[in-house]
Amino acid sequence: MMDVLSSLDITFFLLTALGALVGIIFGAIPGMTATMAVAVCLPLTYALGLEHGLALLLGLYVGGISGGMVPAVLLNIPGTPSSITTTFDGYPMAQRGEGERALRICIVASLVGGLISAVVLFWFAPMLAEFSIKFSYVEKFLIILLALSVIASMSSNMLVGLFSGAIGIWLSLIGTYSLSDGGNGKTRLMFDFMEPYLFEGFSLLPVLIGIFGISTVLIEAERGISGGLKGTNVEVSKEKRFSLSVFKGGITNLVRSSFIGTFVGMLPGVGGSAASVLAYTQEKNLSRDSSQMGKGAPQGLIASESSNNALTGGALIPLLSLGIPGDSTTAVLIGAFTLQGIQVGPLFIPENQDTWYVMMAALVFANFVMFFLMFYAIKHIAKVVLVPKYILFPIIVMMCVIGAYAINYGIMFDVWTLLIFGIIGYIIQKIGLEVAPLIIGFILGGSAEVYFVKSLESFGTYSIFFTKSPIAVVLWGLIAASIALSAFIGFKSRKRGMRNVS
Amino acid sequence: MESGTTSPLSVSIDFQTSHLFFPHIINWTIGLLFVLVLVFRVVPFLKKVKRGERALPFIGESMDGFRFVGTLVLLVAYFYLMSVVGDYFPYTGYGFLFTSIGFLFLMSLLYMHTRTKRKIIVAGINALLAPALAWVVFAKLFYITLP
Repeated sequence: MMDVLSSLDITFFLLTALGALVGIIFGAIPGMTATMAVAVCLPLTYALGLEHGLALLLGLYVGGISGGMVPAVLLNIPGTPSSITTTFDGYPMAQRGEGERALRICIVASLVGGLISAVVLFWFAPMLAEFSIKFSYVEKFLIILLALSVIASMSSNMLVGLFSGAIGIWLSLIGTYSLSDGGNGKTRLMFDFMEPYLFEGFSLLPVLIGIFGISTVLIEAERGISGGLKGTNVEVSKEKRFSLSVFKGGITNLVRSSFIGTFVGMLPGVGGSAASVLAYTQEKNLSRDSSQMGKGAPQGLIASESSNNALTGGALIPLLSLGIPGDSTTAVLIGAFTLQGIQVGPLFIPENQDTWYVMMAALVFANFVMFFLMFYAIKHIAKVVLVPKYILFPIIVMMCVIGAYAINYGIMFDVWTLLIFGIIGYIIQKIGLEVAPLIIGFILGGSAEVYFVKSLESFGTYSIFFTKSPIAVVLWGLIAASIALSAFIGFKSRKRGMRNVS
Repeated sequence: MESGTTSPLSVSIDFQTSHLFFPHIINWTIGLLFVLVLVFRVVPFLKKVKRGERALPFIGESMDGFRFVGTLVLLVAYFYLMSVVGDYFPYTGYGFLFTSIGFLFLMSLLYMHTRTKRKIIVAGINALLAPALAWVVFAKLFYITLP
């Protein structure tokens, strides 16, 4: 315990605060997300130790998710996808001159959501890890299969989701079948001339930075880089003052939405917008009076912001206990952990108790920093929305280059990887494939291969995946359920679509 | 597992070719999914295109070709020149510093819609300061390798 306290030095708190501030700025600028904030700031952690690196990254994560509320309320543009429902009630309030009140409601809701999800994480992740420690290769493979099927079924179209996930796996297999994983050290899925560059495959972080950083720049460039929001009014008006009494009668909503956010965050690959939309519709269905929702009701803000900030803790649960990222931001975090020499998985928490407590401290502290920064400095933060993109984007590209180049101590091919995956990311978004399943497939593809081939090598039959243990059967049940559910939802929405057409 | 060797589900993996076992399965999976996507997504989409309800990606959409192609050209030049210049000054990070200054300025110019004197000066100052700051922090303070 003393070790934990000694690593919580002043630098630790300063880095968390810095992370939260930079995250808020990224989140507040439309088109830039928490994922991008983490990806772009990764090179800063190369020189930091594990604890300090974690402090910065978690600050960025929490700040990035909550920063999205600022343009959502003031400009009717969600700064991050998860703030979409905040615009429904936030913007009408801002137009009535209650901008500051709306933002402060959002901030308090975010804090509660973040803290509730941190508690759930603290309590649940070690339990899940302890449970999954006994898993053999068979169950581990099925867990990955389950993760991919859940992601696919949450995509806008399950077939496209599965296809994207399979492409992600395929990309991860390029390179050698590593000797250290019990493979035979031979290369596959490439031509001989690529061997000097791709012997170990594509590095994870340049791939992620390329897909989330460079492709965003390319997409914006193709749209002609909107001239910024000059001339728009971001004055935070405060005709009606904020008071905590808004939350009277909204406690159920607050707690329910926080738990919805945490739970959705746990499902791998499901984005933040799903959490806030679900929490918002639940409030609409269950509250006594939902007539004002969509016209500027605080209850809508509470539902939206508490749920999207609760994602942070939720998404960390599968990451820390199973090694499976819960969303695209935690996918980048997995890269940061690898960088620090940490293998996330069932053994992470039991073997790194100190790091685990430090992480929890950083997460809770980041939530409080976010709260104070936003609550008292919101007027000034609101102005970053106006920074022109012709200044911002070149800096982002430069940071991406530093991150990619330095990751393996100076390999130029990693910078080219950035460009390759920037273009791949651009193309997949243009032709309508899904980024999240592809990334998760890429991250998990390598382990999926090892678990799958090792299981077959030791048991010699495919039937082992069904007969190994009761857990295997349960996992198959869950896989079937997630596919059936998405087929059902798809069928229902198609029927509704047909009715609308006729 | 005595029945395992005779059942239709049994499998044995030759170590010499074990690196191709899983990729084969994935190749087939992708192929199968691709056919399904083709039948259920692409064909209906093309029908809509034919009826004029939807536009083809890339070809049918309006895009800012100048800025898009310009971005690609700048990126390739930036990445390429970085290592070329870097080879002249090994282990100093100057390759990064010098090319970044040029790249940031040109990209800012490319993305501006109206080029006023004030905007260009701001972009110029940014192009000088941002790479310099990054270079000091990463190369000098943190000892991180830069091209």
